[in-house]
Amino acid sequence: MSSATYIRPTDFRTEALRFLGLLRALVARELKSRYRRSVLGPAWAILQPLFYMLIFTFIRSVLNISSEGVPYVIFTYSALVPWTFFANAVTRCGLSVNSNAGLLKKIATQREVFPVASVLTTLVDMLIASVILVGMMIWFRVPVTGALLWLPALVVLVWGIALGCGLGVAAVGTYKRDVVFAMPFLMQFWMLATPIMYPLGRVPGHLRPFYCLNPMVGIIEGFRNVLVNGTPPDPGLLLLSLGGVVVIWLVAWPVFRYMSQYFADAL
Amino acid sequence: MSDDVVIRVEGLSKRYGLPLAAALRRGWRRLAGRPADDGPWALRDVNLEVRRGETLGIIGRNGAGKSTLLKVLAGVTPPTRGRVELRGRIFPMIELNAGVHPELTGRENARLLAAVMGLRRRETEAKLPDIEEFCELGEWFDKPVRMYSSGMLARLGFGVAINVDSEIILVDEVFAVGDLQFQNKCLARLKESWEAGKTILFVSHSLDALQYLTRRGIVLEHGCLLEDGSPMDMLNRYEHLVFRNVRRDSSRKRARREISTGEVTVKQARVFDRNGETRSELDRCEPFGIEVEIEVARALARPLITLAIVNTAGVNCTWSLSEEDGFMPPSFSGAETVRLWFEEGVPLANGFYEVNFALRSAANYETLTRSSGLVGFQMVGPGRARGVVVPRHRWEHEGRA
Repeated sequence: MSSATYIRPTDFRTEALRFLGLLRALVARELKSRYRRSVLGPAWAILQPLFYMLIFTFIRSVLNISSEGVPYVIFTYSALVPWTFFANAVTRCGLSVNSNAGLLKKIATQREVFPVASVLTTLVDMLIASVILVGMMIWFRVPVTGALLWLPALVVLVWGIALGCGLGVAAVGTYKRDVVFAMPFLMQFWMLATPIMYPLGRVPGHLRPFYCLNPMVGIIEGFRNVLVNGTPPDPGLLLLSLGGVVVIWLVAWPVFRYMSQYFADAL
Repeated sequence: MSDDVVIRVEGLSKRYGLPLAAALRRGWRRLAGRPADDGPWALRDVNLEVRRGETLGIIGRNGAGKSTLLKVLAGVTPPTRGRVELRGRIFPMIELNAGVHPELTGRENARLLAAVMGLRRRETEAKLPDIEEFCELGEWFDKPVRMYSSGMLARLGFGVAINVDSEIILVDEVFAVGDLQFQNKCLARLKESWEAGKTILFVSHSLDALQYLTRRGIVLEHGCLLEDGSPMDMLNRYEHLVFRNVRRDSSRKRARREISTGEVTVKQARVFDRNGETRSELDRCEPFGIEVEIEVARALARPLITLAIVNTAGVNCTWSLSEEDGFMPPSFSGAETVRLWFEEGVPLANGFYEVNFALRSAANYETLTRSSGLVGFQMVGPGRARGVVVPRHRWEHEGRA
């Protein structure tokens, strides 16, 4: 391959400040604009997990799914909140590059800013959806335990996996739209392959090793343990999840770095 | 790199798309035994050096690579080959309204644009009154941008952009929208920046703006740098280029655009001189005529004929309506020939012209046929091809001692 060089004075501090300034502006734009012409406004953030919870509760009565002794509503909702965040964040990342085409063609900033902004705005949705969760925990008198201290770590982990997947989807989806079209179906499939509607304990033993390769298993189980059962996450599962996140990042980020240079050409 | 040079471009070539994908495609085509085809080069071996404080005009026809050059300089898209070296902060004034959200107000969008263009939050807040004043949007500044007209939107983008402090400014045809007064204001602001020692690269199709703002110019064509010299050289070369291409087009069979009811067919059309000879080149102020032969399928009462001469920019230079001139034949039937004679010629500027023709019936004003590009001719004369008309004129001068 022939050589091509582009040199310009850069200084890390200025670049970092620009990145943060742009990130902040993008997140502010998303949050301000998203619900400006909607009737329900921020309630949309709650509706999605809430409706899943209702339909799961119905399915449960049909299929007789166990919830390991906790009220099923909170059992499934505590898993739905992080899951909804993950699914929406990845989907939005896939769209973020395309919907910011104008910006991409104009400024030479690190292209990660668009997926990161998407994940951050979705995080705000998760906070809103958590309000109901807190309400449920009070209603069902879930005891407050030291296990809750694990919560920040779990949020970071789910944030990390969402951004990792999001980077990959954004990198490929910008060139091949199929990836973006496949997202709703893929996320549905992934949700059913994660212990959200049912407990991990009901997964047949011989399938369990494969099942647990899904990095979302450890994260979702972790959230449920910490929030509902008052126990710390299972260390084995958590390590598997952590490993999964690292692998996803090792693949997705370099791909994104390479592909993102040419985003302006493809849009 | 000498101290003075702020932009150095060496052997720059650019082809759009992922190099990896292109390599894969090339390999696949080779396997399939087909010749490799990687798509066109947007830039080919461009060499350029710009010094601090220079204003460089960039001109070229559509697709010549002007915007690509700016994008590569701005670092938005990487070069495929060659070397680009910059000194100083670069600010691309391209796609000024990129990122604007229609539901947000002008003020909120101004903050967003400022962040996009690299202003810090504190700087933005300090400059917001300036921006508001420059945009001249009044109460609209606090209304959602979706209610704005395109001109208002352009003002918003430019108002923010003009307040960004940078050493090198890339301007890409941003004055196309906005009214004349605002355009002049923008030009004046750019000129101020230049006087303050900024380096400006300016892409425009407005020859006047280029002449006003630049001290040096380059011409791009098919991605190659054709000319690098004074603004006058640039404009001459560009005009020559456009002119030559128009001439080449005209020598081919012209695509006649026609809307017709089918009852009237235009058989032939030509431009002729006082000897009745068909001409494709006319001297300025030479008498000439336009002749159109038509075939009318059914008798047409009170025909109305329009003949217009249109220049390459699509401007109607002359427009003649038979009825207005008192030419009112009672009816047309069968083969008819219509002539329009310009006794004193038409003092048109040098260039290529086309004739548009329309035939209507005064009885019901139904349009029977309308065709543009019926016939073409070229006007030649001394001097350059600026303006629309070149009437007989002379200069005078009076000095005060």
